[in-house]
Amino acid sequence: MLNFASVVERAFSGPICTERDFELGIFVPNLRRVVEKYAIKYDPQSPVPADDDLADRVWQAGIEFLAETGVYCLDTERRILFSREEIETALKSGPRGSILGEGEDAKAMPRRFPEDETPPWCSVGPTSVPVSNEWNYINLVKGNAENPLADSITIPCLTNVDGRQIVGGSPLGIEGAIRAVLLTREGMRRAGRPGMPIVNGVTTATRSQEHIAAHHFGLRRTDALEIGTIHEMKIDFDSMNKVAYSLAAGSLIFAENGVILGGLAGGPAGVAVVTAAYNPVDLLILRGVVQHPFPTHFDLGVTSARDTIWARSLANQAVTRNSSLPVVNVGYSAAGPMTKMLLYEHSAWVIASVVSGGSVEVGASARGTALDYTSPMEPLFGSEVAHAVAGMSRKEANQIVNALLEKYESKLRDPPVGKKYQECYDVATGKPSQEFIELYREVRREMADQFGLELPPSSPYL
Amino acid sequence: MPSEALYQRLSEAIISGDRNKLLAIVEEALREGIAPSDIIERGMSPGMREVGERFARYEIYLPEMMMAAEAWEGAMKVLEPRLLEAGGGQKRVGRVVLGTVKGDIHSIGKNIVGAMLKMSGFEVFDLGVDVAASAFVTKAEEFEADIIAASALMSTTIPQQRSIIEHLEARGVRQRYCVLVGGGSATQEWADSIGADGYGRTAGDAVALALKAVGKG
Repeated sequence: MLNFASVVERAFSGPICTERDFELGIFVPNLRRVVEKYAIKYDPQSPVPADDDLADRVWQAGIEFLAETGVYCLDTERRILFSREEIETALKSGPRGSILGEGEDAKAMPRRFPEDETPPWCSVGPTSVPVSNEWNYINLVKGNAENPLADSITIPCLTNVDGRQIVGGSPLGIEGAIRAVLLTREGMRRAGRPGMPIVNGVTTATRSQEHIAAHHFGLRRTDALEIGTIHEMKIDFDSMNKVAYSLAAGSLIFAENGVILGGLAGGPAGVAVVTAAYNPVDLLILRGVVQHPFPTHFDLGVTSARDTIWARSLANQAVTRNSSLPVVNVGYSAAGPMTKMLLYEHSAWVIASVVSGGSVEVGASARGTALDYTSPMEPLFGSEVAHAVAGMSRKEANQIVNALLEKYESKLRDPPVGKKYQECYDVATGKPSQEFIELYREVRREMADQFGLELPPSSPYL
Repeated sequence: MPSEALYQRLSEAIISGDRNKLLAIVEEALREGIAPSDIIERGMSPGMREVGERFARYEIYLPEMMMAAEAWEGAMKVLEPRLLEAGGGQKRVGRVVLGTVKGDIHSIGKNIVGAMLKMSGFEVFDLGVDVAASAFVTKAEEFEADIIAASALMSTTIPQQRSIIEHLEARGVRQRYCVLVGGGSATQEWADSIGADGYGRTAGDAVALALKAVGKG
């Protein structure tokens, strides 16, 4: 595979163009052309499509689009271009079966295929939801690490250091990133799972220097730094600096791509194609061991809408049928904790992801932005659903996802806000309220009665 | 009516975001003696309204909005001098300085807001991303803006929205501008806590707030 130094060189020597010309003169027309050429059409009735030929056309469209478009470097205002041969070589020589975690918690990241019976990797945690204090932070990590189906932790975002609001790029950013890692390690130790990997190191960090600082205070080589592309098909030196550091330190990378539905990629068809095109970008530029996609609706701010679920499902199928780089899907739901709607939303995007070949990271509630609106209960439920549907046909999954969407999609704009962590959990014991346990049990029964989904019996709340 | 057909073609050129085609039709309309104000109000403006409505129905997305806005701006460069000659001028709803705060490089949400503001008749100066608090203030003064709109996606960058308000206060010009905040990490609670004048979760919210701020909402 083309080495990273060569990629950096291309950032300095590739064709010059303005950002506007890249967006409207290159990206948009190239994308429109391949979407039309490969006849990629959104079907709202099939949020989980089951058409292998369509999935392969999305893949072909994505590769063609990437080869013609390249990736725009914001710092040099140049396009980093890759030939088809370089893309194909990267796909053949990408990482396989990376081991994350240590000791009893070490595990190989599985490559999965559509309708695969292989259990999905389940990362659990607040997924960047901001948290107001360190006590909640440790409790949230501990509660998520106690999930028997959890393979890794997705850590929350600490918002202050000793009462001072964290500002990215400042010394508070450095201290916040370090503290986030130390608190996470402590939370996992309390849960009796000290070897669990962190896969979104480090949410609290904004800049590369903060990632690097955090890495020196407790991140391990078997954790993953989360490094993302910029909307859309863009990169900057700060992100490339994170990659350079990770490669030097021998650290793993979760390569993140959140294509905006309604943004430059346009509608669901464009989003599916661009998400697929990111897969080789994640190998060549971000040097990832995992593709970490979350197509997000521009207006609703979620990944649980019908059109984003379709784009995610189809992109997953395109990628997992054609690339060995595993996919771990991230989800952002609209409703807050301790609501039925949040459990329905998580279930819908999790089912679509898993039957389409992906693993999952559950999960952000209240759009991932409301302070303390997160709990370990929904990630537990989401990971149970993920295991229950491994091996399910896409056709059956489509029926369930359609039924789930009918339960909540009309409320996505104004969802129930739910409860803050400290309102639905006992902060002293770190345990959910009885009312919350009853709600969880009720929706588990619904999943069994309405959809025949038998969730694993490993739950501590049965 | 031949003019009606021309207005229709002007509108269609805006909707398709075809800047060159729009310019050609504008020139043709001027040659036929149609008043610049009619070209705008009876031809181009209905096209812009249609673009906004299609966007609201999720039928078109950011690229179409950006191209329509660029086509509009290109045509206005031709029409504005003619309007001035005729003793008129372009009717601007208000002026907005827009940007993503320092340390944050996310642009899509900001760009959607910018395009929708232009569609609604605002003159928009887009400072881009990673913009220092002082730059918002300096540009607002130069541009004689009515509104400063600041976007921040991350919880570690929203403190920069407060910094803009602090810079306005330090220069003694806080009351001159309506400060609107938005972006993934902002909330109404946050906006209230920093003394912002409004919070928009969506681009549509931002435009409604902006129109209200200039007395048009």
